[in-house]
Amino acid sequence: VTAQAEAASAADVKTGGAAPGAVWHHRHLLDLDVVSWPEIELIMRTTDEMKGILARPIRKVPALNGRRVTTLFYEASTRTRVSFETAARNLSADVVSVSTATSSVTKGESLVDTVRTLEALGAEILVMRHSVSGAPYLAADVFGGHVLNGGDGWHAHPTQALLDLYTMRQHLPGGDLHGRKVAIVGDILHSRVARSNVWSLTAAGADLWLCGPATLLRGMDRWAVAWSGGAIPGRGRFHVTSDVNEALRDADVVMALRIQRERMQGGLLPSLREYATRFGLNAERVALARPEAIVMHPGPMNEGVEIAPDVATSGRAVITEQVTNGVAVRMALLYLLAGSHDPAHSGDAGR
Amino acid sequence: MSLRADSHTGPKVGEKVERFEVEKAWLVDPASGREGPGEIVVSGGLLESVVWLEGKDALGVTDAGVVVAPGFLDLHAHFREPGFEDAETVATGSAAAAHGGYTSVALMPNTEPAVDEPGVLERIRSAARSNGSPVEIFAYGAVSVDRAGEQLSAMGELADAGVLGYSDDGAPVRTSKLLRSALLYAGMLGLPVVDHAEDTAMTAGAEAAEGYVASVMGLAGWPEAAEVNAVSRDLAVFADALRDEPRARLHLTHVSTAAGLDLVRRAKAAGLPVTCDVTPHHMAFTDEWIAGARRWSWKALGADGKPRDPWADGALVAAPYNTALRVNPPLRDPTDAAACLAALLDGTADAVATDHAPHTVVDKEVEFGRAANGISGIETALGVLLALVDAGKLPLARAVAALTSGPAGVAGNWPGAATTPAARSRGLVEGASADLVVFDRADRWLVTEGALRSKGKNSPLLGRELSGRVLLTIAGGRLAYEDPDPDRT
Repeated sequence: VTAQAEAASAADVKTGGAAPGAVWHHRHLLDLDVVSWPEIELIMRTTDEMKGILARPIRKVPALNGRRVTTLFYEASTRTRVSFETAARNLSADVVSVSTATSSVTKGESLVDTVRTLEALGAEILVMRHSVSGAPYLAADVFGGHVLNGGDGWHAHPTQALLDLYTMRQHLPGGDLHGRKVAIVGDILHSRVARSNVWSLTAAGADLWLCGPATLLRGMDRWAVAWSGGAIPGRGRFHVTSDVNEALRDADVVMALRIQRERMQGGLLPSLREYATRFGLNAERVALARPEAIVMHPGPMNEGVEIAPDVATSGRAVITEQVTNGVAVRMALLYLLAGSHDPAHSGDAGR
Repeated sequence: MSLRADSHTGPKVGEKVERFEVEKAWLVDPASGREGPGEIVVSGGLLESVVWLEGKDALGVTDAGVVVAPGFLDLHAHFREPGFEDAETVATGSAAAAHGGYTSVALMPNTEPAVDEPGVLERIRSAARSNGSPVEIFAYGAVSVDRAGEQLSAMGELADAGVLGYSDDGAPVRTSKLLRSALLYAGMLGLPVVDHAEDTAMTAGAEAAEGYVASVMGLAGWPEAAEVNAVSRDLAVFADALRDEPRARLHLTHVSTAAGLDLVRRAKAAGLPVTCDVTPHHMAFTDEWIAGARRWSWKALGADGKPRDPWADGALVAAPYNTALRVNPPLRDPTDAAACLAALLDGTADAVATDHAPHTVVDKEVEFGRAANGISGIETALGVLLALVDAGKLPLARAVAALTSGPAGVAGNWPGAATTPAARSRGLVEGASADLVVFDRADRWLVTEGALRSKGKNSPLLGRELSGRVLLTIAGGRLAYEDPDPDRT
């Protein structure tokens, strides 16, 4: 650790100097449903600080010096895992990486046993990716430290939604999403990214539209209807539609979601070609959005399916910025969960 | 009330109850349709006297205190033996049943091996004889060999060995063709097919009832249509089979949707001799419990008749994705729960059955979508029904009937079972073998792992208090359960 990095001590990432009241009290971050708007703003401000660190020649601060972060990925995901591990190393944490292909998970060890084992080996912060919705709640139930959800099933991908929000705020005047139209187009039904974005973007006051083929929206309309009366404290309404033109018209933000080949085998889509024709983000469709609209994608992209190559590489695309911001957001969350103070035993039951 | 003079000299479980009296309690006799203040005396294992109190003798005796009712009959339970004895055995299941007020239980055949030939049945019988509990065990045979849905089980031999009926429960009878054969062949034997109505092509990979809660939680949706399809198929095939074999019988177990129950309602109105049961959990719990809500189903319905939003009104009090709530059919929304209750009240549902499905920690302490389906419910069924009674949703006598005369009437509708003990009148009859439960509506008990006699601790009610502590259960004149608290005698 250099003197320069030392100088960028934890004091540098002390946040909330201008914060109106928000104090981080969550032991885990499993979903955004229990994260209030002031807390989201705290995350955004902390991310600003982390962006500052990333802009330095030496991107390393000792905020989590000696803390042990373990990434436990039950699904292959290079980008998310590398992003978390980079974030943890930037904060000087020790990182252990467990992927299920090389662990005793392949020998049938249960999630609970694996988590207990990792804790016994010293894990303090567990970053977890799992294919079954809700799996991180089970881990959090038995783990003595902090659990950070890196994506579970169709349910939640909170760090992705937060980096999406951060990226949108960077590009919108005043960083304000109020009344800004955000269109998310793709496989909404199977998307944890879409679900977490519902919580964050409705909290931000955005005019959120979820769009996809009817087979990939099933059930989401019931959610939208349930919230149409504005019943949820701190969350606004959102829209669900299969009309891609309606979703994109005058949008400020356009986000495409990955379409997976399994959807054809499941009888949910006729073909990728037909999807690309009817729902793919091509230049013509994106032209329906506002001229200054940004184009986003959580990756990995199927270029030519949900997004045309020229759109993905156009000046409107902020897809690589999303990746960079992802590191900063994850640094912010690691810091808030385990670095600023340690509420591990403060009685918050992980919600 | 005096349960007994001295608990130290009283009978042990399995021993004949020589002398036992209850004074000034509330008697419920669904066989005669009578309820009111009364007293009973058990002597030499027989119900020696039943006295209905009137006038000043009855003063102060209400239905809110100690209640005496006939022992309960469960038409649907899993005791896991043989094959899964780490989850439950006939012995532990019987102890759990007695703790729940049940004196008779009909066991589903999805054991390992399945009850598809008399040898397996004999193992269950032997376990029932030797475990010391007087709880009466009935058993269903499988419809198909190994429950695989290909070939009929040894139905005739199973009938000769005394099965109550046939079921491939855990799964539906796989094809319409096999169901028709099974209804005809079982009908010839005077016995029913008990079907678990599910269109499994629609539910592959499903985790929770399709709807708002599943959508928010990212759980694969379990469509209502999957049950409606299957109920519709079953009724159509049954009507067809009945033309060839008038003794054919169909019983639909754990029907859980408003639309499925409505099909049964219409079939009954058209004269089809179909029967069905609903479970306590589908009446009282809803899908929002998976999100962490714990309010009863009737409290989750808004004044407009629509489900309330647990995220909107701060109803989420427990950790989400509790696998004790993973069950097949899935917990549905409050309107379906209300429909189950309405079906019970209007007679569409003939009985309450528990679908008691104990599982080991190994099978439940896993990711929600990978957890075994089932709720350990035979010990909490009474408490859940009493919650409905306490809320004014269900009269006490109807709750008792749903656990006694209701299921007995279902068995009575099966020609080959109508004269067997399964269909015997469940009433408070002087001179008959004593078969009853005594519970105290004013006394609440905490549902804990330790309180449950079942090996299956997979109850969503752990940590919750239920009213109606069971004080004593007598089955066939013998002691089946006695509350262990010495202060209570």
